[in-house]
Amino acid sequence: MSLALVSPALLIAGFVVIGGIGMSLVQSLGLLPLVGVPSLSLDAYLANGEELLIGTGLSLAIATASTVLSCIIGLTAAVVITQGRRTGRIVAAVSALTIPIPHLIGAAAIGLLISDAGIIPRMLGIPGTEWPDLVGGPWWVAVVLEYTWKESAFVALVVAAVLATRVARYDETAALLGAGRARRLRHVVIPLARPAVIVSAIIIFVYTFGSYEVAWLLGRPYPEPLPVLAFRLFDSITLTSRPEAAAVAVVTTAISLAVVAIGMACLRRTPLWK
Amino acid sequence: MSPQRRHRSGVALAITSGLVMTLAACSAPASADDQSYASWDEVVAAAEGQTVKLWMYGGDEQGNAYVNDVLVPAAAELGVTLEQVPIADTPDALNRILSEVQAGETDGEVDLVWVNGNNFGTGKEAGAWECGWTDLLPNMALTDPADPLLLDDFGTPVDGCEAPWHKAQFTFVYNSDTVTDVPTSLDELLDWARANQGRFTYPAPPDFTGSVFVREVLYSVSGGYENVPLAFSQDDFDALTPALYAELQDLEPSLWRGGETYPQDSNELNQLFADGEVDFTMTYGPATLTELVANGTYPAGTKVLTFDEGTVGNASFLGLASTSGSKAGAMVVANLALSAEQQAAKAEPDVWGQFTVLDLDQLSDEQRALFEALPESPVVPSYDVLSENANPELAAAWVTPIDEGWRQLVLTQ
Repeated sequence: MSLALVSPALLIAGFVVIGGIGMSLVQSLGLLPLVGVPSLSLDAYLANGEELLIGTGLSLAIATASTVLSCIIGLTAAVVITQGRRTGRIVAAVSALTIPIPHLIGAAAIGLLISDAGIIPRMLGIPGTEWPDLVGGPWWVAVVLEYTWKESAFVALVVAAVLATRVARYDETAALLGAGRARRLRHVVIPLARPAVIVSAIIIFVYTFGSYEVAWLLGRPYPEPLPVLAFRLFDSITLTSRPEAAAVAVVTTAISLAVVAIGMACLRRTPLWK
Repeated sequence: MSPQRRHRSGVALAITSGLVMTLAACSAPASADDQSYASWDEVVAAAEGQTVKLWMYGGDEQGNAYVNDVLVPAAAELGVTLEQVPIADTPDALNRILSEVQAGETDGEVDLVWVNGNNFGTGKEAGAWECGWTDLLPNMALTDPADPLLLDDFGTPVDGCEAPWHKAQFTFVYNSDTVTDVPTSLDELLDWARANQGRFTYPAPPDFTGSVFVREVLYSVSGGYENVPLAFSQDDFDALTPALYAELQDLEPSLWRGGETYPQDSNELNQLFADGEVDFTMTYGPATLTELVANGTYPAGTKVLTFDEGTVGNASFLGLASTSGSKAGAMVVANLALSAEQQAAKAEPDVWGQFTVLDLDQLSDEQRALFEALPESPVVPSYDVLSENANPELAAAWVTPIDEGWRQLVLTQ
């Protein structure tokens, strides 16, 4: 019965997601070339082997840094929000404001703020040559910063919503039993928040791992994260590079699915999971 | 069946139907194209009421303004609704057409594309362009039929697959307030960059502008464009490019940020120039500089640099997508864009400032007066001066290997 109710959504989502992945797979295996005869081969995967490896490492690093920072900051904000005081309401409002701003706008704004000739160095009177290479620099600082800014607000709201429904009761009980602040945080709040944090972390990781525009706008031409590599190959005027772009997309998808699987396994181990 | 099993078969069904439907959509045969016209009158009649989508680079505000404020209203008077689709880079449009060709689409999203160079060449190879239609355009008579820039586009014969739109001259631009010892050749420019650490850079190919800069350096290290065969061959590539990459590797530590990174595109370089972080920028559209200096975007000391050996010149075109469902309307727009009125309006520095493709000798006195009335720019010399000693573009087949080599040997080293 429940399946019948969700089946329309499932069909559409299945058509788009599975169809898209299927097309990428078929193209990456050389079965759907723009010009020439289709033939099954792994050439598209091997053509950019080194860049694919470097890109995977870089994408994993960016996504991991963004996810870890977002979860720490978001969890802290959620705890502040659920305290229910004035600061909590301000933090909640600021987090909610962040949500409707698209990543593209966020990236452009971060670029305007902290690039060499950006607003902040100008206000501080620091010449571009002495300002650290935050935008387009070797450490991808601006990219991670943009993801962290936006996704930590997402974590804060999701976790706060979960905590708000049950934390007060357990927290009071624990306090009555004589638990101090630190112990309540460690034994009550964090265990209650854990499933929501894990789910948020999966979403953030997969999103930042596959997202293009922020990395392109605030990054550098080399090395390239996987989505940037895929888009450059897809957009290349060399007709044979399309299967290579599809291969990068397939690798990206496979890693994302693996991360989802690992995340779900972690989720199953949490005591609150049923 | 347990709920779990049912769930699984539901997913399997979704997967299979998704795959089947997607694949079926791809193999659908293209329906016969009945959009062929014998005379211009037939084109004009068929164009009435059509909507034409013009895909073009959207990063140039003056270009957007010209299209939306001048070309679109003029097309509306001819009964054609013209819509500009701004894109980040021309391959976006080409890719869209190629996807539509792959899917057998006959009323695609792309009608006209502002195109030239390797995008045109690759598209022609893959059947992205409608060909043999420009002979129908009455305003083609205003161009010089023997003009080499209009016959070949980066070594690919035009063959009526695209209508000329304007001419471009690759130009270096400098800030005369900070650059006092002005280079007069590309070689001297590179020496200047070595002597002034961090004050020069170029956009990373495959950016269009960065890519032509690398080809200019190839001409320079080869002792002039005469020594580089325009048609591509692997032997010539192997013989000529080691000197190019050696020169660029040697230059790298002297560039902006020590050459550790490059601007991603020409916009980023222009921004660096506008912010005074570098002293040079470069552009295919020098006529737009007048307005950029007038409105304060660029420093007041901005000047155009001309080289003794000349720089690359080319023409850009309007390509008609083979998947377009509004071919007649697109032809009417291409013809309109070639009219003396539109070409003169586009050449106005405060409109767009693009050089005309028309041959002034073919124009009536009235039409020629439109061009003679154009104001002289305090920043940019006239096209005659700029295009003196203009170098030809290498064949499109050169472009990708040079850009790829740059990636391998300069960017990633």
